[in-house]
Amino acid sequence: MIMPAGRHLLLPANPRFIGLTLVLALVLHMLLGLWDQHWVPDVLAITLVFWVVHQPRRVGLVLAFVMGLMVDVHESALLGQNALSYVVLCGLAAASQRRMLWFPLGEQALQILPLFIAASLVEWLTRLLTHDTWPSWSMLLVPLLQAGLWPLIGALLLAPQRRAFERDDIRPL
Amino acid sequence: MALDTFERSAPPIFRQGLSTTTKLVLLSLLSLVLMAADHRLQISQPLRAGVAVALSPLQWLSLQPGRLWGVIDNYLGNVESARDAALSFETKTIAQAQRLQQVEQLRQENDSLRQLLELRTNVGGPSKAVEVLYDTADPYTRRVVVDRGHLMGIITGSAVIDAAGVVGQVTRVYPLVSEVTLLTDRQQSIPVINARTGARHVVNGNPMAAGGPLELKFVPSGTDMQKGDLLTTSGIDGIYPAGLHVGRISQIDRRVDASFATVHAEPTAIKRGRHLLVLLPVKDWPARPVAEQTQTTQPKKKSTQPSPQGLNVTGGTP
Repeated sequence: MIMPAGRHLLLPANPRFIGLTLVLALVLHMLLGLWDQHWVPDVLAITLVFWVVHQPRRVGLVLAFVMGLMVDVHESALLGQNALSYVVLCGLAAASQRRMLWFPLGEQALQILPLFIAASLVEWLTRLLTHDTWPSWSMLLVPLLQAGLWPLIGALLLAPQRRAFERDDIRPL
Repeated sequence: MALDTFERSAPPIFRQGLSTTTKLVLLSLLSLVLMAADHRLQISQPLRAGVAVALSPLQWLSLQPGRLWGVIDNYLGNVESARDAALSFETKTIAQAQRLQQVEQLRQENDSLRQLLELRTNVGGPSKAVEVLYDTADPYTRRVVVDRGHLMGIITGSAVIDAAGVVGQVTRVYPLVSEVTLLTDRQQSIPVINARTGARHVVNGNPMAAGGPLELKFVPSGTDMQKGDLLTTSGIDGIYPAGLHVGRISQIDRRVDASFATVHAEPTAIKRGRHLLVLLPVKDWPARPVAEQTQTTQPKKKSTQPSPQGLNVTGGTP
C-alpha cells in the first residue's frame, strides 16, 4: 500500500460508531434547524461526506438518500428535495474519494468546497423550480461554512480510529 | 484497498453490486419521481407518515435542549415579570368581561333572528388545544408542527386560531404530529370580509412583502378601504368559522395606471405563540349548485339567481 510519509495507520472504524455519529448528526441538524437562520451549516451533510470519503463500502448513496428523505419529512420540504442534493453530494464525494485521501484534513476542506457548492446549487435549483422563489443571500455562506467545519468534524470523527492498536495499560496514551 | 482508510476487509471480486454512477443516476431519478409525486399528485403521504413515525423519537430528542432551556429560564426568571404578566391578564379579562357576558345574549338573539328569517344557523364545531413543537427549518415556507396528530382526531383542512386571531390551517396530518401552514405562507389564502364596510376579499400570504406579510389580491382601486381596517373571516369557505380576526390593513398603494390597488395587512395572531386551538371543520354545508344548470341559465338568470354565498349573511365583529 502506498501512503504519504509520516501518516499513521488507523484502526478500523466500528460500524456502530458510524451509525451513532450519523444519528447524532441528524439530531444536531434538527436542533440547529430550530434556530431560525438561513446560513446554518448542514452538519449531517458533512458527516455523510466524511464517511463516504473514508468508508465508501459502508456508507454509500443509498444511506445518503434515506437520510435525505428523513430530513425532507422533518423540514416538511418537498419529498426528495434534500435526498437529491445529498445523493449528488455523496456521488461526487465517492468519485473524488481516492484523490481526497492524499491530502491532510485542512487541504481536503478546499477540495470539498466545490462539492458543497454543487449540492447547494441542486437544492436552490429545485426550490426555484417548485417554489418559484429566490434563495436568501445569506444561504451563499452555507457551503463556505460547511467547508470550514470539515477539518473540525473530520478530526472529531477520526479520533477513535487514532487510538493505539494494542492498548497499553501502563502507558495508556 | 483505499489509501489511508481504515477499511480492512478485502473488497469482493465478483459481486460488486451496482456501480456508484449507476446508483447516482437511479437514486437521482427516484428522488425526482418522488418530488413530482409530492408536488403534482400528492400521493406520497403514506411514505411521509411512515418516515415521520420512525423519526419521532429523534425529533423528541432534538427538542429536549430547547425545553430544558425553557424550564431553566422559567425557574430563574424574575418573579416580578410573572406578577406583571398575571396582572396584565387580569386587567385584560376584566376589560373583556362585559363583551363576553353580552355575547351569550347576542348569540341567542342572533339564533332566534336567524330562525325567524329562515337562515342557516351557525354551528360551532369541536375544537382541540395543541402546542407548537417547532417551526419547520425550510426557509421558503411558513409552517409549524404541533403536538397532536390524527390519532388525537386532527383532520386535514381544520382552521387553527390563537387568542388573537386566525393562525393558519392544518395541511398535513401524521399519526402523532401535524403540520400547520401559517397564513403568511406563500401558498396559503383565506377569504375575508372587511369588518367596517362588509366587502369581501381574498388574502394571500406573502412573507417577503415590505408592507405586511398578508396581501389582498384583486382589490379594485376605488374600493373603500382604510389603513387599520379589521379583516375577519367571512365564513364562505366552510372551513374557517365566520367572524374570526385575520389582520389589519397596514398599507394601501393606489396607483393611477393600475386598476387594482396593492393592499397589505398585518396578521392579528400572536407571533410565535405556543398554544393554539384547532377548529375541526363542520360538515354542514349546502350542496354545490349543479354545474350544467348554472352554465346554461347563467345569461338569463344572472341577476335573479341567489348565489350560495349570499345565503350566509354573517361576518363582522360579534
